Amino acid sequence: MNKGFKIFAKPYIIWLAVLAILPMFVMLFLAFMYSEGLSFEEAYVTLFQFQMLLEPSIYTAFFNSFLYASLTTVISLVLGYFVAYNVHKSRFKNKFLILTILILPMWSNLLLRIEALGNLMEPNNIITNWLGISSDIALKGTMPAVIIGLVLTYMPFMILSVYTALEKIDISLEEAALDLGLTPMQKFWKVIFPLSLKGVATGSILVFLPSMSGFAIPEFLGSGNILLIGNIIEAAFRNMDYNLGSLLSVILLIVILGALIIVSKVDKEGETLL
Amino acid sequence: MMKTYERATLKEYGYRDYSVLNKVYKVFSIVAVILIVVGLYLSIIMLAIQSVNSSSSVTTFGSFTLKWYAEMFSVRSLKNAISNTIVTSIIATILATMLGTLIAVGIYSFEKKKRQTIMLFNNIPLLNADIVTGISLMLVFSLLLPIFPYIFGPTTLIMAHLFFTLPYVILSVIPKLKETDPNLMDAALDLGVKPFKALTKVIVPAITAGIFSGMLLAFTMSIDDFVISYYTTGNGFDNLSIWIYGSMGRKSLTPSVYAFSTILTLVTMVTMVLYQWFQRKGKKAHVKR
Repeated sequence: MNKGFKIFAKPYIIWLAVLAILPMFVMLFLAFMYSEGLSFEEAYVTLFQFQMLLEPSIYTAFFNSFLYASLTTVISLVLGYFVAYNVHKSRFKNKFLILTILILPMWSNLLLRIEALGNLMEPNNIITNWLGISSDIALKGTMPAVIIGLVLTYMPFMILSVYTALEKIDISLEEAALDLGLTPMQKFWKVIFPLSLKGVATGSILVFLPSMSGFAIPEFLGSGNILLIGNIIEAAFRNMDYNLGSLLSVILLIVILGALIIVSKVDKEGETLL
Repeated sequence: MMKTYERATLKEYGYRDYSVLNKVYKVFSIVAVILIVVGLYLSIIMLAIQSVNSSSSVTTFGSFTLKWYAEMFSVRSLKNAISNTIVTSIIATILATMLGTLIAVGIYSFEKKKRQTIMLFNNIPLLNADIVTGISLMLVFSLLLPIFPYIFGPTTLIMAHLFFTLPYVILSVIPKLKETDPNLMDAALDLGVKPFKALTKVIVPAITAGIFSGMLLAFTMSIDDFVISYYTTGNGFDNLSIWIYGSMGRKSLTPSVYAFSTILTLVTMVTMVLYQWFQRKGKKAHVKR
C-alpha cells in the first residue's frame, strides 16, 4: 500500500492516546487521592481506598465476579463450541446468514431482553398464566438466574469466534487425519480442537470480560441479592466516590490488560476478534 | 486340496459398527443446536408475546391486541428516546464506517511490526469493560468542561459511540485489505491515477464486503449500547437504553417499548431475508450470463 496513506492512521493514534490511554492515568491518579468528585481544591493523597478493598462486600464482589464470569465462560464454551462445530460440519456455507442469526437478538435492547428473561424466571409468568399452570420455581434473584442471563447474552460472541477459527482449518487436514486411521473422536481432539484454540481463546475473553464487569444483568436478574464488581463501581461513581470507583476500575483494567496481551500473543492482528 | 475357510466378518477385522450410534448422535446434535438457538431467542420471543398482551402486567396474559403498536409514539419521552437512539447511532455508524476505512488503509500502510502495535491499541476499546470505557470517557470529557461547559449531550454521546465502533470497522476492513492484490495500487498509479482517487476507485471497491460487515457490526454495537452511553450523555438527552433503565428502576415500563423492539426485530429480519434473496438471485443471473 502507498506509504502516503499512513497519514490517515496518525490522527487515530492521537485519538486513542487521548481517549483510551490518558484516562487510565487519570484513574490511577484518582485512586491515590481523596477528592470531592473531580474538584481538587481540598484533595490530598491517601491510601484510604486500599483499606476499602478489605471490606467483605468488596472482596466478595471480586470473588463472585470471577466465579460467575468463569462459570459463564465454561458453559458458553461447551455449548458455543458445540453449535459452532455442528454448523461448521453441516457445510452450510452461508456465513452471512449465520452471522445474521446470531447477531439479530442483539438488535433488541439488552436491558429489555434481560427484563423479558427476568419475567420468564418469575414463578408466575405469562407462559404459566397462559397454560393455566402454576409453578413454584423462583429462579429470579439466584445465582443460576444470573448465569443463565450471562450465557444467553454473551454466547453468540463465543460461537462467532470459534466458527471463524474452524472455518480457517484446511479441510484436507481432516481428510488426512481420517486416512491415517484416526477415529472421528481422535480426529476432533488431536487435529481440529488444537487448531481452533485461537478462536477458543478470543471467544473466552469476549465472554469473560463483559460477564465479569457488567452491572445490568446481575442488578436485574439478581434482584439486588447479587453484587458483582460492576455494581460496586457503578454505585461508587453514582455516590460521587470517584476515588474508590477509580481504584476498582484500575484493578479491573489490570485483568483486561492481561487479556489484551493474551489476544495479541495468540492473534497478532486481531483476526479472530470478529 | 484347498481348504475353504469361512469368510472373515467385518467384526473380525476390528471394524465396529457405529452407524446406529452416529445416527443417534446426529439427531441429538441437531436437536441440541436448535434448542440452544431457541434459547438465544427466548428473550425476543418473550418480548413479542408481551407486545401483543392487552394487560399491561407482565405476569398475566389478557388477550391479543395491537394497541401498544398504535400507541408507540404517544409517550413523548419514549418517542424522544427512540429518535435520539436512531439519530446518534446512524451518525456514529456513518462516521465510523468512513473514518474507519481510511484509518484501516492508513494502518495497513505501516510496516508489520508497527501495524501490530497499533492493532494492540486498537483492541483496547474493544476488550475494555464497558463500565471502564464509559467512566474513562466521562473523565476525559469532564476535563474538557472548563473549556466547553455544555459538552455533555449529543456531542459526547456520538464521540463515545465513535470511540467504541471504530475498532470494529478497522478490524473488519484490514483482513479484506490483506486479500487484495498488492499490485492493484501500483497498477492504478502507473496508469496515472492520483493516489487518493486510486484509493476510492480501486481499493475501496475491492474491500466493500469488509466495509459493509464493519458497518453492520458498528450499528449493532451502537444501537444496543447502554453502559457507555449512560456515562457519556448529558442531562435530558436520553437514548433508548437509558430511558429503559430509568423506567425499569421506577417499574413504569410501558408495553409500547416491547412493541418498538419487536418491530425493529421484524424489520431487521425481513431486510436480511430480502438481502439474501436478492443476492442469490444476483448470483444466478451472473451464472446465466
